[in-house]
Amino acid sequence: MKKLISTLIIALLSINCFSQNLDEIVKKHIDAVGGKDNWAKVKSIKTTGSVKANGADIKIVMLQVDKKASRQDIAVMGMNGYNILTTTEGWSYMPFGGQTKPEPLTPDDVKKSQDELSILPDFLTYKEQGKKIEYIGKDDVDGTECFKIKMTNKEKKEVTYYIDPSTYYIIKQTSKDTKDGKEYENTSSMSNYKKLDGGIVCPYNISGGFGEMEIVSMEINPKIDEALFKIAK
Amino acid sequence: MNKLSTLALTICTSLAIAQSPVNSSMFGVMEARQLGPGTMSGRITAIEGVNNDEGKTIYIGTAGGGVWKSTNAGASYKPLFDKYCQSIGALAIDQKNPSTVFVATGESNMRNSVSIGNGVYKTTDAGSNWKKIGLDSIEHISKIIIHPTNSDIIYLAAPGALWSNSKHRGLYKSADGGQTWDKIFYIDDKTGCADLLIDPTNPQILFASMWQFRRQPFSFNSGGKTSGLYKSIDGGKTWKEITNGLPPKPFGRIAMTLAPSDPKQMIAIVENAKTGLYISADGGETWKNQGATMNTVARPFYFSTIVIDPKDPKRVYRPAFQFAYSSDGGYSFTEASGDGGWVHSDMHALWINPSNTNVMYLGTDGGVYMSVDKGITWHFNHALPVGQFYHVGIDLKEPYNVYGGLQDNGSWTAPSAAPGGIGNASWKRVGGGDGFWTVPDIDGKTVYSEYQGGNMSRVNIETAKAENIQPQKTSKEEKLRWNWNTPIVTGSKNPKNLYVGAQYLYKSTDQGRNWTKISEDLTTNDKKKQEQEESGGLSADNTSAENHCTIFTIAESSLDENLIFAGTDDGNLQYSANAGTTWTNVTPNIAKCGVAKGAWVSSIQPSQFDKNTVYVTFENHMYGDFNTYLTKSTDLGKTWVRINSPEFTSFAHKIKEDVENKNLLFLGTEMGLFATVDGGATWFRMKNNIPEYALVRDIQIHPKTHDLVLATHGRGIIILDDIRPLRNLTKEILDQDFYLFQTPDIILNNGKFGWGGSEISGDWSVGNPSETPTINYYLKQRLSSGKITVEIYDEKNNLIQSIPGTVRRGINMISWNLRGLPPKVAEGSTKMDVAGFTAPMVLPGNYTVKIKVKDKDYTGTIKCIHDNENKDLSPEDRLLVYNKALQLQTLYNQVNNTVDSINIIQKGLKEDSTAYSKNKNAQVFYDDLQKVKAELMATKKTSIFADEERVREKISSLYTNFCGMESKPNTTQLQAIDDLQSEYNTQKTNYKKAITKNIPKNLELKKKLGL
Repeated sequence: MKKLISTLIIALLSINCFSQNLDEIVKKHIDAVGGKDNWAKVKSIKTTGSVKANGADIKIVMLQVDKKASRQDIAVMGMNGYNILTTTEGWSYMPFGGQTKPEPLTPDDVKKSQDELSILPDFLTYKEQGKKIEYIGKDDVDGTECFKIKMTNKEKKEVTYYIDPSTYYIIKQTSKDTKDGKEYENTSSMSNYKKLDGGIVCPYNISGGFGEMEIVSMEINPKIDEALFKIAK
Repeated sequence: MNKLSTLALTICTSLAIAQSPVNSSMFGVMEARQLGPGTMSGRITAIEGVNNDEGKTIYIGTAGGGVWKSTNAGASYKPLFDKYCQSIGALAIDQKNPSTVFVATGESNMRNSVSIGNGVYKTTDAGSNWKKIGLDSIEHISKIIIHPTNSDIIYLAAPGALWSNSKHRGLYKSADGGQTWDKIFYIDDKTGCADLLIDPTNPQILFASMWQFRRQPFSFNSGGKTSGLYKSIDGGKTWKEITNGLPPKPFGRIAMTLAPSDPKQMIAIVENAKTGLYISADGGETWKNQGATMNTVARPFYFSTIVIDPKDPKRVYRPAFQFAYSSDGGYSFTEASGDGGWVHSDMHALWINPSNTNVMYLGTDGGVYMSVDKGITWHFNHALPVGQFYHVGIDLKEPYNVYGGLQDNGSWTAPSAAPGGIGNASWKRVGGGDGFWTVPDIDGKTVYSEYQGGNMSRVNIETAKAENIQPQKTSKEEKLRWNWNTPIVTGSKNPKNLYVGAQYLYKSTDQGRNWTKISEDLTTNDKKKQEQEESGGLSADNTSAENHCTIFTIAESSLDENLIFAGTDDGNLQYSANAGTTWTNVTPNIAKCGVAKGAWVSSIQPSQFDKNTVYVTFENHMYGDFNTYLTKSTDLGKTWVRINSPEFTSFAHKIKEDVENKNLLFLGTEMGLFATVDGGATWFRMKNNIPEYALVRDIQIHPKTHDLVLATHGRGIIILDDIRPLRNLTKEILDQDFYLFQTPDIILNNGKFGWGGSEISGDWSVGNPSETPTINYYLKQRLSSGKITVEIYDEKNNLIQSIPGTVRRGINMISWNLRGLPPKVAEGSTKMDVAGFTAPMVLPGNYTVKIKVKDKDYTGTIKCIHDNENKDLSPEDRLLVYNKALQLQTLYNQVNNTVDSINIIQKGLKEDSTAYSKNKNAQVFYDDLQKVKAELMATKKTSIFADEERVREKISSLYTNFCGMESKPNTTQLQAIDDLQSEYNTQKTNYKKAITKNIPKNLELKKKLGL
């Protein structure tokens, strides 16, 4: 009897710990953020947000056209900078640190960044992008024991996602990358998930090394002038 | 089946109830600071590098600080193993796939203070994630070797348990990448595998050195008949002993190596009655004795590394007491040069970069060194904070200082905060040798420090001069027995009382100038445990490390200076209620609660709230028993209860009761720090940027700053600043969805630690604690949707600042910069303007904090008070500075408003660019305005290094000056405000003139813009 009970406890505990297989977690996550079908209808997004620094507002506007182009505009202290990425080119103009004119991304960087043009949640696109995912285990994020899933792309760049088991939202992601021999590690946290028009769900608060961005509005499928993805000559 | 599942559910539920209602992640926002230092590091046990990586990627295994990795050849290191056992025995990188790395826990340099392991771990992503793959019970592992052509085959050498017999020792092999293991060579439960070699050209050939050894608390033995050197030619299936040319047995520990470029060339250092270095030129079949210089043969149990250059079979390295090298295949050795400074003695690891064999990394008892000239001279790596403290002391200065002694690295002190943070240069040495107790005196200028075996001094911190104060025996007394780690303790009630313990307890009330013996022998005085001169085995080794039957811990009650406790290393716990006149031995009462007889009394904590209550930890690891023994008595030792928890891991070093909340206790063990908030009923492991299995040897709680200060044996001093959130988290609060804690009064200043410039590259450094109290709140559950906003209002209910709140479960800590909103900045400048991030510091007064959690508001108060300690700034000065800053902010806004107006008109003029290019009047208007704008602010396209200063930049500079001002402004600063106002007025007039001049010629624009 004693053995039976202990076996049962172990069995129950292990069910508790491992019943969630990776596919299930991914499926629940996709459902939590609005589902595959709703996301399939999303072709473009315009996001407006602000980052607070010492009480000052830094305005950010992001334009995304699925698989085609993206642009971020940043307005700090009356100065305006931007990043542009398309299928063929990329530009960066960040005058805040003394940059005087836009600089192009190398063709290699443009090529490597193409996955970022996808507007869909990473767990909807990883297969077609040739990425692999792996369930690492559970890990604590800000007091919440999360599912930890690692995604690795063809160039071995790793992104680790932490999914809150109570909501199946991603609440943190970390990435590691090496560029020109230099290592980069980035961490972002997401919260304040909201349901938008068309049923998709997105975080309205994203914080990371840059500070804390509060999203003011997200427009789904707005018309976006393609000229915005070319730099002003 | 139904019944069974109900039963299991009940059991699970009761398990859940037994778990602590709180855990460390609820305080995850509180992150400890690891003070290091890197200036003296700690014992390094293993070094491995990635071969085909230009020597950039290096993994370092340490005695008590886990695994560290550098990807830049040692310019910086990161810890990789903070969630796992910190004692590292061996590392191995799969060179065919360098993302795969094995870590075997459990160091094998078998000194008295060596820690134990709990298994072997593997990563397949270069250290981002680790999996434990087994071999949990081996305790000490010396080597892992991956087969050179088949990465699935792995060999592991396990000396095994140091303190007991064990069947887990021997040589292991895995054929499936570490998933399963077979013990392929085993002699007996006293004899383990100390060293292992594989022939890279014929991996079927293996060599193993088997070693019989054992420690007891009071003696060490290295050597026995079962020790020997063995060879296998079938991948470890069968073994034959090699004796030809070797000395007569018994052997002790054998270190060996072969030349990778010519594997028949071998060298072995064989411990025996006449330890010597032996050379073989025929693949280990026959040997010749070649030498016995001190550096090649000293302390074989501790110095077990010898390495031949990967390319040159004649170049041999012997890291040992000193570093020695040979250019003739081991026939003669030269010691490394002293140019460049002293290299820490006692060496255990060496990695040579096979693609550039000039470059090598050396692991010593004091950190990692790098050589680029084949080991002749060495550079120290200053960024590995893996020092092995035994104890930590604190003083009451502001900022307070920490004091501590380290294994093989002397005794040191450092401030808990310093200008720019704590770096290597913040640390100051106060004693040498192996350091242990380092205790500051209440006079603020004296510290008591010691080295091994009770050699203690009174040190003047200012002059660094030391006077020996060790009590001496009288002619009628037995030889004094001083523990390796002899207690030196000042009174908790009367800090002028100084206690030290041999087998007798001594007390001084004049800083050790005179001593009174206040006890008879408090130990068991077992003579069989006092034969240290015979210790060592084949090689004598008597360094006071095995001294026994000594007092190990002393504590004076903080409620009564006459109530003194003393615990010994042979299991006696005694107390005196009359300052030492009589003593009561309570040892027999303790055994009843399950503590092993004879266990060391590792710490005593008399309760600060009740004289009859005392907590005591015991540890019995030197008898192979790693249980966590924590006990409590509430009747002054008559009866005891054992406090236990499923969370506890390994043996207990220290119990500490909080100074304000009697239910808050901390327990430091060989594998982790644990806390309870319910008086010991339930416990949780502390994480909070503290390595989860840190060897926590000592704990202090600062009475003024509320900091938790840890002495770790492998990760230096660690401070968890201000534990009041932990202290104040009552059950009532835990039950609420949200709770706003009262913010302590905030003293208005720009911080108290000063500016220290940038850190020197290559050093270990850590920041200061938060200089301003944070706004703290508790959230029962993480907020998944909705947000939290923290708003500060002044007494007139004006919104001062709105700060985004965090949404984590548990404690959230929000920093307010004590300022309002910065001014808006107009567009069109070519420079970032810092004024746009700056606002004047608020004035003293009562503020309201309003926290909006989704649709609910919670309010609290914050009192901001003038900094009376700043004699440069009176309350009147503060008001003046504030008002002048506001005046400048207004002026700044005026400039920006004018620029904004110009921008609007210019935009209006250019809106129809075709018309503009043909409209001369519009162009003139535009240019006139541009001239004014160019005077108002920097507009030239230029680099950040060009100082283009116009009216706005001048105002910005003065404004930010006033915003940061902490003294009365000088007259020129005040005058400058008026001057800048005039400068602006001039440009304002020019602006108006431009309008008046140009508007009649641009009537269409006038209409459009409503001018």
